[in-house]
Amino acid sequence: MRMLAAGITPVLAVVLAIIVGGIVVLASGSNPITAYESMLVGAVGSPFDISETFISSIPLILAAYAVSFAFRSGLFNIGAEGQLYMGAIAATWVATTLSDWPGLPLIIVCIVAAMAAGGAWAGIAGWLKAKTGAHEVITTMMLSYVAIDISHWLLEAGPMTPANAFGTPESGPIPPQAAFPVILPSWILPNARLNASLFLTILAGLVFAWILWRTPLGYEIRAVGLNAKAAAYGGINVARRLVIAMVIAGAFAGLAGMVPVWVQMRLYDSFSPGYGYEAIAVALVGKNSAIGIFLAGLLYGAMIHGAVAMQANANISGFLVQILQALVLFFVGAEVLIRWFLRRGGFRALAEAAS
Amino acid sequence: MTALVSPVVPETIPSATPYLQMRGITKAFGTLLANDHVDLTVRDREIHAVVGENGAGKTTLMNILYGLIHPDSGEIVIDGSPVRIRGPRDAIAVGIGMVHQHFQLVPVMTVAENVVLGQEPGGIVVDRRAAVRQVGELSERFGLVVDPTARVETLPVGVQQRVELLKILYRGSRLLVFDEPTAVLTPQETDELFEILRGLVAGGKTVILITHKLNEVMAISERVTVLRQGRNAGELETAKTSPAEIARAMVGREVLLRVERDEAHIGEERLRLDGLKANSDRQLPALDGIDLTIRSGEIVGIAGVSGNGQLELAEVIAGLRPVTDGHVFLGGEDVAHQTTAERRVHGLAYIPEDRQARGLVLPFDVKDNLILGSQSRPPFAQRGQRNSDAVDERAKELIQRYDIRPPDPEAPAQSLSGGNQQKVVVARELAENPKVLVAAEPARGLDVGATEFIHRQLIEQRDHGLAILLISSELDEIFSLSDSIAVIYRGHIVEVVPSAAADRERIGLLMAGGTIEGGTPSASQVAQAAAALANEPPGTPPVESAHQ
Repeated sequence: MRMLAAGITPVLAVVLAIIVGGIVVLASGSNPITAYESMLVGAVGSPFDISETFISSIPLILAAYAVSFAFRSGLFNIGAEGQLYMGAIAATWVATTLSDWPGLPLIIVCIVAAMAAGGAWAGIAGWLKAKTGAHEVITTMMLSYVAIDISHWLLEAGPMTPANAFGTPESGPIPPQAAFPVILPSWILPNARLNASLFLTILAGLVFAWILWRTPLGYEIRAVGLNAKAAAYGGINVARRLVIAMVIAGAFAGLAGMVPVWVQMRLYDSFSPGYGYEAIAVALVGKNSAIGIFLAGLLYGAMIHGAVAMQANANISGFLVQILQALVLFFVGAEVLIRWFLRRGGFRALAEAAS
Repeated sequence: MTALVSPVVPETIPSATPYLQMRGITKAFGTLLANDHVDLTVRDREIHAVVGENGAGKTTLMNILYGLIHPDSGEIVIDGSPVRIRGPRDAIAVGIGMVHQHFQLVPVMTVAENVVLGQEPGGIVVDRRAAVRQVGELSERFGLVVDPTARVETLPVGVQQRVELLKILYRGSRLLVFDEPTAVLTPQETDELFEILRGLVAGGKTVILITHKLNEVMAISERVTVLRQGRNAGELETAKTSPAEIARAMVGREVLLRVERDEAHIGEERLRLDGLKANSDRQLPALDGIDLTIRSGEIVGIAGVSGNGQLELAEVIAGLRPVTDGHVFLGGEDVAHQTTAERRVHGLAYIPEDRQARGLVLPFDVKDNLILGSQSRPPFAQRGQRNSDAVDERAKELIQRYDIRPPDPEAPAQSLSGGNQQKVVVARELAENPKVLVAAEPARGLDVGATEFIHRQLIEQRDHGLAILLISSELDEIFSLSDSIAVIYRGHIVEVVPSAAADRERIGLLMAGGTIEGGTPSASQVAQAAAALANEPPGTPPVESAHQ
């Protein structure tokens, strides 16, 4: 019940965003029904689209876990982008280096490498925070730039560029035996790209919730996030918990970086369209809960993929999607407004629950 | 300084029509009836106390009077004519002023600037000199000693409160409402405030005092309106009633105002502080070599004017503040450099002075708060996993034993009343059978019923052999609970006396830094003590008071 109540604001925010977005479409001289219809069909209208929607969603969901986990300890990890890059680099490096390994151990090592690299990168910010009080908004952000630039250096005719790359900034191919198995059978969709990283994402969500709610560590991290003074009073080593929370957060982001590389089977320069930044919005809309983030990530992924069809079929600019995303975020942020709507509509109890 | 200077007794002039009448005030918040047909009648030029437990509806009633809340029904009559108060602006216009519990001052501005804020003298440019003059006159007229040119942030709390008072006097208020004004004051500042209140009444003002402290009601008010659970529970003449009667009306049953306690059965040494030194937050020495021993079965009370190191003492013992020198022996072992968690394992429990900022994680539910400090130990943690059954069981047991309300382990701590929040803290700290308890301001802000409950728990635990260090700024609390009293002054324990042999006046003087070689203190010593008690920064000469 509490979970349902917590979901009211985001759901209403989406509804309001669709209404306001529709007005925007109308004002620009197009038919909002057509726009939404083509977006919806474009997002989930066929097995292919559903598969692609998932592919757009998964990195967002994982990176949002990184944002949220840190947030539970009271830290704003806005540098998931950099942690994601470090994860992608590490996994790619391991995969290309150990390319003669058999599949299963290689996948596992790659996953571990991605999570370790992302975790270490975020851990630096956590350590700086604990030791010196350096604000994590600054450090995670700056570390993001560093990570992205490291990837440029590695890929633009750098140590990770293969000899036969002809000037394309990219890594060598991920060995095929390291690929995640495709999970859509070919009679549904031949050559589907949706792979077992979806299960990994679901597992990540379970781990996220398990740590936070089912372990003393999670209790301590949440206590630190909600009242560090009380946490210290309860004998919790606040500094250490901050570092651990950042490391775990970064591990989620590292995984988020590996997944898109394992779809394209090669690490391209600037491979992320900003998953780590978009993830902040997903975390907010998902209200920092495992299920909420999963659903919010799917929504954002659907909007991103659906925009392609909308632009092509309904001839409406894909920027509508960005407007919609902004509106969803705006209305989630404007909880007070939502509560006001609920109260006006006579849903007093819901309004209280949504607070 | 009432205790030292003879108080001004106000001349009350009874009049036929009451100055203020609130009739049948009703206000519901959701399903909760905060005020249920409440009546309040205040005569002209009286000090009228409105008392009740937390949640009895006092603050709601006053917020309605001040226009901050709109009642569902009921009327307000001033001087015989009904008024409509739609907001604070209306309230000010009909002569009502309110001194809030949390001051609404701009810290970086001067006293005069704060007082005239919103009604500045002069045209486009504020006439600062006129402001200073007007505020000076006002403070002189009502005997409020305050320098109009001082910056508010440099003033002690008691003086800041006077600035709040000047603000409403400046706006010409006739009815002055004080919401728990003494909650933030030292005993001496409280005495000074009371003298000011008497002066105000003598000067033609009417005062409403919201409080739940019975000794204050008895000391200052002429009549008392008692509220209980949103309803009127009595209107009493102070001269014809007793604290016990008021308490009974407030709580609805007999209340023991003084805890009964048997003789202490003192056992072995549990906590020994040896030359303990520590710094304040500003890295200045706060504890300057504390020597103190607390044994099983006794309560040692630390008496002192706040700011003399009590807070730091509690934190150092709890391991939340580094020891710069000396030792903390807990059950014979030196724990001075152990972590808080290690000390907890060694049997240390701590009721912190601020339950909301330190004692509880307010958004956590009750059951999670009930294991704070034990969360990583069995039975609550097993093989890195949380044992939810053990957590639930502990919550169920403690909620029942301490009568925590509502009895819902999943209610967020922030939804509980202050008394129940404190019960959660106390229940948790006593649950692990500690050997030593540091109790800092255990009853701060609690009403009569909750205070009685907490005090009884402390006595009970002492009788079971717990060693308790009690830190309190309420001298009454120290005297009624402690077996011996240690006076702290500027980071030193000045003296430790058995409470049976302790003399209030002498303790007060020691708190102020006086040293007595027998005999009665001299007049200058008394003046010095009073100044120090009024929270003057140490070292400054006592300010000449301008009371007429």
